[in-house]
Amino acid sequence: MGRCKTCGGTDIDVDQARGVAVCMGCGSVLEDNIIVSEVTFVESGGGGSSAVGQFVAGDASGNVPSLGGNFQTSVGRESRAATLQNAKRQINHLGHQLQMNQHCLDTAFNFYKMALSKHLTKGRKSTHVIAACLYLVCRTEGTPHMLLDLSDLLQVNVYVLGKTFLVLARELCINAPAIDPCLYIPRFAQLLEFGEKSHEVSMTALRLLQRMKRDWMHTGRRPSGLCGAALLVAARMHEFRRTIKEVISVVKVCEATLRKRLYEFEDTPTSELTIEEFMKTDLEQECDPPSFTAGLRKQKLKQIEQELAKKVDDIEGEICGYQDEIEVELESCRPKARGIYASCSREDDVVSLASSSHLDGEDDELRAAASHLCGENEEQEQDGERVSLTKRPSLSLLLGALPTSASLGLSESITKMGEEKENDVEAEGGELDLSGIDEDEIDRYILNDKEVKVKTELWMIQNADYLKEQKEKEERIAKEKEEGTYKERKPRKSTRRREPINANTADEAIEKMLEQKRISTKINYDVLKDLNKSSPKSPTRQPEEASAGAKRTPAARQRKPQLTSPDIGKTVSSFGKRLQPLVRAQPSKKLALDQIGSSVPVATPAVSAQTAVVVESGPVAYEEHADEEEEDEEDEHCVSAMQLMGGTSDYGYELDDDDGF
Amino acid sequence: MEPSNDVALDIIVTNVVSVFRTRCHLNLRTIGLEGTNVIYKPEVGKVLMKLRKPRITASIWSSGKIICTGATSEEEAKLGARRLARCLQKMGFKVRFSDFKVVNVLAVCSMPFQIRLIEFTKNNRPIASYEPELHPAASYRIKNLRSTVQVFSTGNITVTGPNVQSVASAVEEIYPLLFECRKTLS
Repeated sequence: MGRCKTCGGTDIDVDQARGVAVCMGCGSVLEDNIIVSEVTFVESGGGGSSAVGQFVAGDASGNVPSLGGNFQTSVGRESRAATLQNAKRQINHLGHQLQMNQHCLDTAFNFYKMALSKHLTKGRKSTHVIAACLYLVCRTEGTPHMLLDLSDLLQVNVYVLGKTFLVLARELCINAPAIDPCLYIPRFAQLLEFGEKSHEVSMTALRLLQRMKRDWMHTGRRPSGLCGAALLVAARMHEFRRTIKEVISVVKVCEATLRKRLYEFEDTPTSELTIEEFMKTDLEQECDPPSFTAGLRKQKLKQIEQELAKKVDDIEGEICGYQDEIEVELESCRPKARGIYASCSREDDVVSLASSSHLDGEDDELRAAASHLCGENEEQEQDGERVSLTKRPSLSLLLGALPTSASLGLSESITKMGEEKENDVEAEGGELDLSGIDEDEIDRYILNDKEVKVKTELWMIQNADYLKEQKEKEERIAKEKEEGTYKERKPRKSTRRREPINANTADEAIEKMLEQKRISTKINYDVLKDLNKSSPKSPTRQPEEASAGAKRTPAARQRKPQLTSPDIGKTVSSFGKRLQPLVRAQPSKKLALDQIGSSVPVATPAVSAQTAVVVESGPVAYEEHADEEEEDEEDEHCVSAMQLMGGTSDYGYELDDDDGF
Repeated sequence: MEPSNDVALDIIVTNVVSVFRTRCHLNLRTIGLEGTNVIYKPEVGKVLMKLRKPRITASIWSSGKIICTGATSEEEAKLGARRLARCLQKMGFKVRFSDFKVVNVLAVCSMPFQIRLIEFTKNNRPIASYEPELHPAASYRIKNLRSTVQVFSTGNITVTGPNVQSVASAVEEIYPLLFECRKTLS
């Protein structure tokens, strides 16, 4: 236990029961809460020994078993713990697919906790948030993983993940460093399987990539494209035959992108160096960004086009000058022709000079041909002028027709309507400034009646499907409205059902009690005797029933043979038989009620009643046939009466009571 | 060189989005059938109307709200909106031109130098963000002006703001930051 701190004595008394250590020399208390940290063992039934207690992991916050049930744990903690467990499981799953180490996974889990505490997971899918946390770790730790890898695993749009990632990075104040394409070179080189020279090819590719960065080729470009181009060139340098397709499959970039990067690299002076020169020397000059050079090219093209346009104008001017000169020369030919004709007339008079006349004749022929050509040209020019003259009035007519029809017919009425509306608008207080508005231009935007009809037909044809859908929707709405009417009938049924339940008078209550007693009459014979005793009461009610109507007379008739029968056994058997048809009659009444409720046409309940009657009369014996027939007649009367009275159930109860008595 | 006021930058407004109300319900079917410059989309419940001068595309809703896009200046946007209102008046609606306002302005500006985006992003860390995997430009958001600036490596800038004054202020604010990150050799 060591020595006492105050007096330095070594005589220390330790009480294990109370956990106290006291110095026996000076009496000072050294420790008052000694925790027992020994591992104790308990012998099990089989003779072995096991350690007491269990291990609790430091990072497993959700898996701690609770002592004494869940009374003290709150619901929020449980849901939060479950969320964290799910997130951790998904992070581990994704991380193992990407071959990330445990440190990165733990960091990603911590990022998720921070996001969860700041409520950044609300409104976003948990998979997106988890992927964004993992990518955040990739960027901070510098692992060679792209956002495209995560989107490929989750089958999610890259830009959706990117948006979530940007939000998390901004809200959590995490400054992710810029992406360096050099990170991906070893990974892609390994995937391209260069064998023993993988390291050399990687170094060459890195050198190429650095050169590209210096030439401003990497800014604004995705790193995978540059890596692909650099690896392709490096592979060719080291005499590896790797096709563009193989590089594309590894780098996950389109072929056009790779070719474009190669063309851009070709424009740089580095591409003109030999392999040995490239390995030894470093060019100090930098190139402009490829997009910048593209912009410059476009400007040059525009300038060239402008210069060409100017040259064309100059040439046209020169051509006009040439035309004028040609016309002047052609006009000068005409007086020469006149001279030739004059000389011809003179030659006719002179006959003596035969040889000179031959020579002159040849010249005359040439001049005549020239004069003919001049004449033909003049005629063609005249024809052209006539054609142009004929075209002009037709164009003027076409131009004149449109405004006339518009201005005379529709424009006036439209302007009048416009004026009226303007007055209305001014009266209402709304102001529409018409400065800078050309009425004629606006008129052209509005169709006339014929054009409206044509456009309506075209629109109907194009939107036929939409119109059909609209009609179907209207039909559905109508059906729903009809169903709504059905729903309105149901509360009526409920109101009808409620009336018999409520006993308004004492007589109704007594009747209900009697109904309950009837069920027990099958077993209790004393009640039957009581019913017999109550028989003298029936004549007191008969006159009231007689006043109600003649339909109740068959019931009264049935009661007379009951009174006349002397034997008790016969009366008992008759009661049993009468109860059976009553039991049968009840479902028929219920069926009638259901039929009325289902709003089936009126004819069907009669048919169903008839069928019930037929079924009931089947197994009846001959001696009892007359009584049952009378009872069936009573049922029919009940049904008809119910129909007449609107289906009131009180009438049924009264009849049952009469039968009982 | 130091940034001086003599440098004249041309801010070219390429798009203006404006909104106004007619304060009356519009029958889209009537507009769709009576107009020549009209595309009626019943599934979406709107009508697209295009004007030739100024070149504007308007989305017309049955509630009377109209969104105009495509103008190259605020004056042009308002002129186009008034012409739209006049067209609707001539079609038979009691249109009252009200609540016109410019909602969004898109402008393009070209710097006389090239910009190092990585350095620019490092210097303006929490506001600027540069993700080459998502977008080739670095985005810089100015909260008080409610403007967003997209900076490209060639020196071109795209500014989005609620009005033309905000766009101009945003360009003035970002110019010294870009000047610090310009390409040194040129």
